[in-house]
Amino acid sequence: MIELNGISKTYAKSAVKAVDDLTITVKDGEIFGFLGPNGAGKTTTIKALTGVLRPDAGSARIDGIDIAANPLGAKRRIGYVTDNPELFARLKAAEYLNFVADVYDVDSATRQARTAEYSSLFGIKDALGASIGSFSHGMKQKLLVTASLLHDPQNWVLDEPMVGLDPKAAFALKEIMRTRAAAGKTVFFSTHVMEVAEKLCDRLSIINKGRIIFTGTLAELKSMQGADGSLESLFLELVDDTEEESA
Amino acid sequence: MSIFLSLSKLYIRSFYNLPGKKAPGAKASGKDILKLAGMAFLVVLVVGDLGYLFIMMNLNLYQGLAMADMQGMLLLNAAVMATMLPLVIGFMTSLSTYYLNDMELQLLSMPIKPRALFSAKFVAVYVTEAAISLFFMVATMVIFGIKENPHPLFYVWGTIAGLLLPLPALAASYLIQIPLLTFARFLRNKRTIMIVGGIIGIVFGLGFNVYFQRMMPPVANPAARASTFAGSESIIAKMGQSYPPALFAWRAMANPASSIGLLAMLKLFVACAVGPTLVAFFLSGAYAKSLIGFNEAHIKKLTKDGANAFIARRLRQGRPFITMVRREFDMMNREPMYLLNGPFIVVMLPLIMGIMYVVQKDALLSDPDMAGVKALVDGGFGVVIAALAGAFMGSSTSIASTAVSRDAKALPFIKSLPIKSGTYLLAKLGHALIFGVVGSAIGAGLIAFLMKMSALDALIGFAVALSLSSLLNLAGLWLDTANPRLTWDNPIAAMKQNPNSLIAMLGSMGLMGGAGYLAFKFALGTGAFALWFGAVPAVAFAALLAAYPRFAEKRLARMEG
Repeated sequence: MIELNGISKTYAKSAVKAVDDLTITVKDGEIFGFLGPNGAGKTTTIKALTGVLRPDAGSARIDGIDIAANPLGAKRRIGYVTDNPELFARLKAAEYLNFVADVYDVDSATRQARTAEYSSLFGIKDALGASIGSFSHGMKQKLLVTASLLHDPQNWVLDEPMVGLDPKAAFALKEIMRTRAAAGKTVFFSTHVMEVAEKLCDRLSIINKGRIIFTGTLAELKSMQGADGSLESLFLELVDDTEEESA
Repeated sequence: MSIFLSLSKLYIRSFYNLPGKKAPGAKASGKDILKLAGMAFLVVLVVGDLGYLFIMMNLNLYQGLAMADMQGMLLLNAAVMATMLPLVIGFMTSLSTYYLNDMELQLLSMPIKPRALFSAKFVAVYVTEAAISLFFMVATMVIFGIKENPHPLFYVWGTIAGLLLPLPALAASYLIQIPLLTFARFLRNKRTIMIVGGIIGIVFGLGFNVYFQRMMPPVANPAARASTFAGSESIIAKMGQSYPPALFAWRAMANPASSIGLLAMLKLFVACAVGPTLVAFFLSGAYAKSLIGFNEAHIKKLTKDGANAFIARRLRQGRPFITMVRREFDMMNREPMYLLNGPFIVVMLPLIMGIMYVVQKDALLSDPDMAGVKALVDGGFGVVIAALAGAFMGSSTSIASTAVSRDAKALPFIKSLPIKSGTYLLAKLGHALIFGVVGSAIGAGLIAFLMKMSALDALIGFAVALSLSSLLNLAGLWLDTANPRLTWDNPIAAMKQNPNSLIAMLGSMGLMGGAGYLAFKFALGTGAFALWFGAVPAVAFAALLAAYPRFAEKRLARMEG
């Protein structure tokens, strides 16, 4: 379970709040989509939730553990897929997986089994001995996803996970999300791909200019907007409305 | 602005990691001003240091040549050096920036003429070459000007020659590299060319060291030595006389106020402009083509059975701290720029010292000062010398003082992992300390061997070296944690253009100098020296180490990526 309460963050070099009084709760067994235009505050929120950034106000709790008070306890319960797969280019894929597994204290048999399972699913098993620097963007993304699942986290947080994935891998990723939610685990992901959010999410939040402008199910969004269009048209309408209000 | 100028600006900013213009109305903060003042101070210090070195070298040479009434050869020597230094450094720089990063591919997709693309790159590399060449010419002009009081045009011709001489050298570099990288596909890989460039740099560094050592005193007969190295029968003179641009520059500076000088300058201008023009005209297209497919990755794939065996063999549990230290090793040693400028120093410095010893051996042994050094060693100061040499070596790798900056891209991910910030940064210290031990052992061991010290003295020297280098490494890490360089496009910026590395190096040299001075001034015995420069730094190290994780935790939390 993920609880964000009144999160606000202003970057040191900016006068504008990147995230303003943001509150979201994601329950166990839920797939939660986090939508918003570029620069809306999605990645800042995810960084606050994963302990990468310290918010100016508010709290983030993972399975009831406050990430500021007990960062290690909270982080152990998260599997995080960052939006920047350009990490550790000099390491080999297997070395990177070993590093992550060691940090999360995953025993040898479990890490071998999960690596074999997910790397095979994403089609990178034969490339585990290669340097990450030689990987394509999509392969790096697949490796990040594999690494994030090595410790079988209760809460899976993904920042723009579909970027760069081929259709087969995107399908596999969505299947894993569904399987995990069905097993009572939490999935929280940000995306620009409306079709994915529409088909996959139990609930979603839309953020614009650092503020949440909607949280609920797709049906609730439709009834709120009084329209029966696609998520894409509802999203654009809602974002435009808030742009006009703030102007 | 023309495409060529726009590209030149882009490349120069990218090469030298220059900051962009401030937004209109934005005011510089106190921290910005302090940073700028600090950088200006460092630049003055480095320029002053190198300037002193070059001026002293020229002075020694001048004095020797003057005795044989051949002081004019100093100018030919300067012209040759102002060509040779940019040739080698230019070759390395043009090679390492041949393909800067994936930005080049974007540029290739734009409607930019290959000539503009190549010329802009040429200009960006030339900036460094011109600075080096001019620096050497100015050092020569200072000495020659004071001693010979030449016509004012001497300085004008000297300055212009300093700016012109690197041009053919750089053109020659590209003349070799463009066909080479067009046909040798294996070289079209950023990592490979960084390694090749690094090796060339090392060979050059060692060669220059030999040359430099031979120029410097102690010397029994300065005139004979100067004649050997810069006289009319020397290699330098022969090189200069067979290389027209150097010859023209020499003639112009030697006859500044005459028509001979003016004619020589015109010839120099033409000679220096021909090379770059021809290369830009005929090879720009080939250069642009050679960028296509650069850095292409070839993934070594495993078979199905091989992959299963690989997973079983390679994915094994380890202790988190050890795995973090291993990551530090792999990330540093597999980046050629980091390896060559970091851990490799531990090998490189003894090699340079070895060359100094071999080249200067006769002079050193005959020098009266060396007898004094021997007496100091015999009088019990061998430990001081061994300890300071070891401490310098152990703290010279810049591993700690660039540790956070090098990891800038990975920090957000690292911060999401369930590891304490303090532990993560202590893994970095562990990495630096391993090389601290190796460097201290090599430095102290070499001195102990050369000075024929007893095993006990060598051991004490090593212990003091280790204590001092550990303190310096921790101080370097503290510095880079307090003020890391987190924004860069090219990994070189995190290491070579990181002021923390320079500050740590200067601090280390200052401490070594201070410690040596105090040890000799107060005639500290081995016990007292070991106490003040071994035990006290060890206590300081322990105190700083105890406080560091808390500081690191707070500092890392404030880094916003």
